[in-house]
Amino acid sequence: MNLSEVTERISRKLEAKGAQPDRQKIESRLRRLAEEFGVNIDEAERTVTADLAREYNLTGVGNTSTELRPINEIVPGEWVTIEGKIVALTPPVSPSIAQTGIVADSSGAIRFVTWTRANAPAMEYGHWYRIESAVVDEYKGAPNLKIHSGTTISRMEKDVPLLPSITPIEELKPGVGSVRAKVIQDWEVSHDRMLQTGLLGDETGTIKFVIWKEEGKDKLDLDAVYNIFYATVDEYNGRLSLALNTAMYITDEGDIEVGRNETEIQGALVHVAPGSGLIKRCPVEGCNRTLSRQNYCPVHEIQPEFRYDLRLKAVLDDGIRARNVLMQREIVEALAGITLDEAVGIAETNPLGMDEIFYRIRNTVLGRYYTCSGSEFGGRLLVNSCTPITFKPEELAALLNRAGGEPA
Amino acid sequence: MKPQSAFEREPARRVFASELRETRYQFKEGEDEKSPTYVLLPSGIRSNRIFIVGTLTEKQRQGDQNIFYRGRVVDPTGTFFIMAGSYQPEAMQQLARIEPPAFVAVVGKPSLYTTPDGTCLVSVRVESIAVVDRDTRDLWVLDAARETLDRLDAFGTTDDSRKAQEEYGTQPDVYKKIVYDALTQVQL
Repeated sequence: MNLSEVTERISRKLEAKGAQPDRQKIESRLRRLAEEFGVNIDEAERTVTADLAREYNLTGVGNTSTELRPINEIVPGEWVTIEGKIVALTPPVSPSIAQTGIVADSSGAIRFVTWTRANAPAMEYGHWYRIESAVVDEYKGAPNLKIHSGTTISRMEKDVPLLPSITPIEELKPGVGSVRAKVIQDWEVSHDRMLQTGLLGDETGTIKFVIWKEEGKDKLDLDAVYNIFYATVDEYNGRLSLALNTAMYITDEGDIEVGRNETEIQGALVHVAPGSGLIKRCPVEGCNRTLSRQNYCPVHEIQPEFRYDLRLKAVLDDGIRARNVLMQREIVEALAGITLDEAVGIAETNPLGMDEIFYRIRNTVLGRYYTCSGSEFGGRLLVNSCTPITFKPEELAALLNRAGGEPA
Repeated sequence: MKPQSAFEREPARRVFASELRETRYQFKEGEDEKSPTYVLLPSGIRSNRIFIVGTLTEKQRQGDQNIFYRGRVVDPTGTFFIMAGSYQPEAMQQLARIEPPAFVAVVGKPSLYTTPDGTCLVSVRVESIAVVDRDTRDLWVLDAARETLDRLDAFGTTDDSRKAQEEYGTQPDVYKKIVYDALTQVQL
């Protein structure tokens, strides 16, 4: 832990209470305690926080607070006391972690981690605990409750039934979330340890889900609706996904009309990017990367047993905005009027090889008007359907009216 | 959440030949060597890239050391002058393969030249060119008409169009007439 991190945390704590602390002052006080007086950093943080809180006349700042807080209100940078039920326990990923899981109260849920060094008593699944003086920080974009040596854990003798509140998929944030959703796609698993992966949807949108192989975990049925309580919401490259290993899922009667939140764009295809046409992909299970001309995969090196694929990376431009679009094999086949097998046949006999397919596809689609719909990801539209725009006489009539129909 | 990249590709504006021919004002945004150069279209928008569909009526190879191709592309309102040189080898070779007359779609960068006798020429440096069909040409005429009318509707309300008013003294009605005449040439 370095001093600027601690400084940041202290000033955020104070700012949350409406004060405007001077970061330099905080840092110099910390440094003085830590470097001149050999105080350990945790203690220095406690001291400085308490001193400043007194100076700004604030209450409820810092670790001395034993005020009970609802879980959905706590934010990174705070020391908190909560009462919650252990709704999930997950295997620790490192020997320095004693326990990880999810603790929930009626307001919400948060992931927690107990450090081995904390020497804290192990908490049991399904029981309520009072956790005093834990620290909230941020791990992979989600709030995370850290149980350390200064945290007091006491088991409570209550058992209030908890009804997690369901979050619409569109409003999920990294952390923990409960959804009512339908399994709309079941994908091929890309990893040995994966039990199932696919797409869940509710009225507001869709999200990828993963279940890792684990004792007692079952697959979801395609097209079935589930109540999924306390799943882990992860963020990767700006995109969210749900890991169901922490979750409890029960089938739900009834159906959901899944909101596809698809983007539809129209325009002229003004550019076909390199990497379009016939490509080779790495055959290693779960890799699927594009190989170079020399069959080199950035991860698995030379792969002579590659498999062919067709794709189109292009720009669709409506005159106002130019957007990147990415089309997969089926769509390219339909658009270019060539199947993957035909393309492979041509590439293997033509002196231009794979370039020949690039040119053919480019010459078929460049400059044409299309309507594309799909989902947007990372500044690129992943196209689910693409249809050529056809000439409509009524549009001509409407434009003629617009251009000449106005009274002078 | 960080954006994947701050780079936004410049859209390709739809413009009729008779409007592009009137273009005289060129400017650069920013001091950077790499900052884009725009022309200001009389209908009131900056453009660093255009998309046109018309008939390639003529094609010539020119130059000895530095080979380049020139061509004429005709739309219902006039002629675009296009060129592709050895700095755009892909585009040049695409153009070299096309035998006029043919319907072509062209994506390119407009630029202004002043000849020694002082006349100003607008030509389009080709980025991509492909042979298309008549339907695509008709769709383009509708598209160019719609976008030109949209620009004229917004004329006077945007910075670019106020600048165009200053530079060209654009009369929106004249351009409306051009659009109308172009549309009447699309056969049903």
